[in-house]
Amino acid sequence: MTSIAPQRFSRLGIFGVVLAMVGLAIIPFVTSTTGLRQASQIIISVLAVLGVNVATGYGGMISLGHGVFIGVGAFATGYYVDGLGLPWLLAIPLGAATAALSGALVGLPALRIKGIHLALVTLGLAIVFQPLSKRFPKFTGGVSGKNIKAEFVAPSWWPSDTRMATAVYRYLFCIVIVGLAMWATWNLVNSRFGRSMRAVRDNDTSAAVYGVDLISARLQTFAVSAGLAGLCGALQIVLVPFVSQEIYTPQQSLVIYATAVIGGLGTIWGSVLGVVARTVVGAVGKAAAGADGLGPIGEFFDLLDQPAFVFGVGLILLTFMFPRGLAGIKRPKRTTG
Amino acid sequence: MTWNFDILPDFIFNGLSLGAIYGTVALALVLIFKATTLINFATGELAMLGAFLVYVLHMEQGLWLWLSMLIAMALSAGLGVLIERTLTRPFDPSDHLPVVLITLGLFLIINAVAGDIWNYQVRILSNPFGQFPSWVPSVGGDRFIMVFGSRLKYQSLGIWVTLAIALFLLGLILNRTKAGLAFRAVSSNVESARLVGVHTGRTLGFGWAIASAFGTLGAVLVAPQLGGVNPNMMATILIYALAGAALGGLDSLGGAVLGGILVGLIQAVAVTWVGVVVFGQLYMSILQLAAAFIVILIVLLFRPSGLFGTRRVERV
Repeated sequence: MTSIAPQRFSRLGIFGVVLAMVGLAIIPFVTSTTGLRQASQIIISVLAVLGVNVATGYGGMISLGHGVFIGVGAFATGYYVDGLGLPWLLAIPLGAATAALSGALVGLPALRIKGIHLALVTLGLAIVFQPLSKRFPKFTGGVSGKNIKAEFVAPSWWPSDTRMATAVYRYLFCIVIVGLAMWATWNLVNSRFGRSMRAVRDNDTSAAVYGVDLISARLQTFAVSAGLAGLCGALQIVLVPFVSQEIYTPQQSLVIYATAVIGGLGTIWGSVLGVVARTVVGAVGKAAAGADGLGPIGEFFDLLDQPAFVFGVGLILLTFMFPRGLAGIKRPKRTTG
Repeated sequence: MTWNFDILPDFIFNGLSLGAIYGTVALALVLIFKATTLINFATGELAMLGAFLVYVLHMEQGLWLWLSMLIAMALSAGLGVLIERTLTRPFDPSDHLPVVLITLGLFLIINAVAGDIWNYQVRILSNPFGQFPSWVPSVGGDRFIMVFGSRLKYQSLGIWVTLAIALFLLGLILNRTKAGLAFRAVSSNVESARLVGVHTGRTLGFGWAIASAFGTLGAVLVAPQLGGVNPNMMATILIYALAGAALGGLDSLGGAVLGGILVGLIQAVAVTWVGVVVFGQLYMSILQLAAAFIVILIVLLFRPSGLFGTRRVERV
């Protein structure tokens, strides 16, 4: 990291990181296997949000369809471990790579289609994905989904093989992978490629004049972005060995996009902040929904149990209050191209 | 494989009536896009809410169906005005991202609220055009008449007539009223319109109102084809409508209707008929959705202005 590095740790940032690490270290001691699994699921969802962030925040291409790449990653990884009998540690990167490849394919139209039109195409993709995946039961289990028979278990050197020990292993595995992915993304966006990516976002014509290959920059951006989401999908089935088209709804894709925007586009920590905000708001909503005996107000609190509602409201409120996202980094004017 | 042409008119009729519905919803998209160059992603959800209003008024309160539809369209129009005034007007219209986020937020909120109130199960809504009314000679009470040896449903006829009347009224409003003139001025050039004294905000609200009313009309007409109303009913319809709007040109009102009808025809003839003839029923539904998606892709890739839209000059 040189002195001109565009993003550096502030004191607040270091404090946040330390706090987060302490929190992550405490969680396994205070919760059950279920709680640990839910914590892991929240942690891996950072990857999908980071994926949107790479495409939209750094690449300037709106993607409302990242749930699709999570789905591709999950379905592909499931097929590799179950259908082909590959070991997990090979299947997970392969699953992410498959998602990256599908992302590059989706990126092809993004070479010509920009701004709100690209939003339209990716939303279309998100809507088509569910009925499409029902048609390929070999990979997706069709309408009702399928169990992945191969389970992700701790290796032999792990001290214990109780359910809790396995859950802890999976939890740590997810943290390590997410940490590595964030570190890699950090390096990527601050590398030569990252600079060309941002140049394309801010003004593609001038980027091309300065020698950036627009086609490869856009395709690679989309591939990296989809690969991150695919990795999230792969880790999903590490945690719960079950795939089903049911969870890859357009709403889920929109929620991921919303989380990325709420956290703040164009910054790595924004993705983490977005997920934290989503989790806190979701938990508060759940608690409020549990409050009984409030009459019609209680009815309203029931709505807070619906994540989509909470994110919808959050999205609108935050657009009003923090147009630049929680991370507060100045969003470039031409994000939509 | 035998090419069975006897059933072709069936598919054409079906495609034309579905297409008319797509055209109606596409019109709702274009009415807002034309004035603001903004795609309202909540169009489908607003329309769904309108259909549920009809459900409440007609099925639960027992109001006359057509009266319920008019009330629901008026209420949706009011909601459209409210949304425009409170949620989109504070933002700079030249910056897309915030307003896109607002409509996405609305998408999520309306869907969740409807899901909370009415659950996600399909609820039957009466078909305004179930069977020919009894005063029609010789076919009163029938559901269809035979044309070219195929069944032409009363429902299809009803949809065409309804859409024709709605379009006629829209034309009257846009071409013969002051508000319509203001709307055309704003959609042609916001700055100039403002300079000659048009209240742009109010005019955009007017656009939202008509758009929401049209969306509600489309949702009510499509409900019988989907078996009823449910909070997720408009997701796939929105794709077809977007395809129709893109095909016709996102800023052309006539193009939206024609594009929607073309998408319906493509879906029915090219996909469903060929699907039945070549593959059997199996792959129909997914081929239809994929076809709509491919239409969007091809149009945006090779002719972003659509068939009738204005071409945009790229500024650097």
